[in-house]
Amino acid sequence: MRLKVYADRMSQPSRAVVLFCKSNGIDIEEVKIDLSKRQHLTPEFREINPMKQVPAIVDGRFKLFESHAIMIYLASVFPGVADHWYPADVFKRAKIHSVLDWHHSNLRHGAHTYVLNSTLGPALGQSLNPNAAAEAEKVLLASLAKIESVWLKGNGRFLLGSSQPSIADLSLVCEIMQLEVVDKKDHDRILGPHKRVLKWIDDTKNATAPHFDEVHSILLKVKEKLKKKHPDEAKNNIQSSRKTSLHSKM
Amino acid sequence: MALKLYVDRMSQPSRAILLLCKVSGIEFEEVKIQITKSEHKSSEFAEINPMKQVPAIVHGDFKLFESHAILIYLASAFPGVADHWYPADVRKRAKVHSVLDWHHSNLRRGSAGYVLNSTIILAFGQPINPKLAAETEKILSASLAAIESFWLQDDAPFLLGNSQPSIADLALACEVMQIEVVDEKDRERILGPHKRILKWIEDLKNATEPHFDELHSIMLPVREKLKELKVQAATKL
Repeated sequence: MRLKVYADRMSQPSRAVVLFCKSNGIDIEEVKIDLSKRQHLTPEFREINPMKQVPAIVDGRFKLFESHAIMIYLASVFPGVADHWYPADVFKRAKIHSVLDWHHSNLRHGAHTYVLNSTLGPALGQSLNPNAAAEAEKVLLASLAKIESVWLKGNGRFLLGSSQPSIADLSLVCEIMQLEVVDKKDHDRILGPHKRVLKWIDDTKNATAPHFDEVHSILLKVKEKLKKKHPDEAKNNIQSSRKTSLHSKM
Repeated sequence: MALKLYVDRMSQPSRAILLLCKVSGIEFEEVKIQITKSEHKSSEFAEINPMKQVPAIVHGDFKLFESHAILIYLASAFPGVADHWYPADVRKRAKVHSVLDWHHSNLRRGSAGYVLNSTIILAFGQPINPKLAAETEKILSASLAAIESFWLQDDAPFLLGNSQPSIADLALACEVMQIEVVDEKDRERILGPHKRILKWIEDLKNATEPHFDELHSIMLPVREKLKELKVQAATKL
């Protein structure tokens, strides 16, 4: 029985799991759970994951959710997965756990909340919130700075000084890629100064080519759709949030 | 190889790793880093953990932070740690990972946020934040409900239907225990309805005695001190 991966490619952790499978030649049946169509709220999907979130997997009769737990499980049970994705060495493995843990409350929290409140909210039935976006942007920027000063320290191309990618690289890079849907001005303001991060994203893309681009192609489509729908609304919201931040400095 | 634990017993994840070590008979040196005295912001501690958070460990030359990563490392590196803490079976282990992952954005965010903004913030000389306290209380209550309806099962004492505790039980229970420092009225309102959770904590306490009680003995005196600070803050207004 093929491994079933319940995913929405608009979900950053879904992309990480799908990208991991494709990069390792793991044969999967990808079941699309469209969040914008509330498919994660159906009783059928609740049977798969009672937390109503993607990604989730079903391996035979074994169900699992939480993308980090999923990638670790797949790396452990599929024999073809190269060691660098989730090293057997207990020290290297511990370091990967530490960045995956750090991710939740830092990069994930900042990036996800920022993109939701500045851009994607309406697609998921939530209104845009420039104040929340501004708060989240602070967390996002602090996280990008920590990635450069701590996690990418050293001579390796990937996190933790490694010369090859791990599941941590997939998780964090897929999160940052979500910024592709925001206004170009904001995207460049946030990411532009972080040259080391941009290089790392590129290295991860090359290490997982051609799957990286294919898995992320949905973001470009969504970006075009958003431009056509709210060309001015998004701009006005971001501008008014900037005005709010300037006032609070006085 | 010497093991040093950099901890503050008022930090929930610090207590979880102390508890694993004590229950498993792992020898360690406890280095106290007091958050209310900003000791985590010192340049010395930044050498140990550049993220300036507790807990962190140094084992010989090896430095590590993030409590879940530390719990897993200790369970893997020390042969005396029983299998039920972090099962070798890949599927049981995966389930432990999934609850530890879920914890960050759910129970941890709700509980730590609520306790900080309703009470502990006074210890940092800042006023309580009723708006943030109310928001995080929602997340906390939703998380407690999810633990009762999903992570705990009626026919087994511990998380994931296990008959023996895992590191996930340590992490989540130490988090719930933080609610002990808030006003009794609020604690009763938030925790009182959750009988299954109260039983789970009791079972974990029994499975790890006397260490659970010893580590949490700090809560009552802290609660009294915070009550005083609250009264002082109210009188100043």
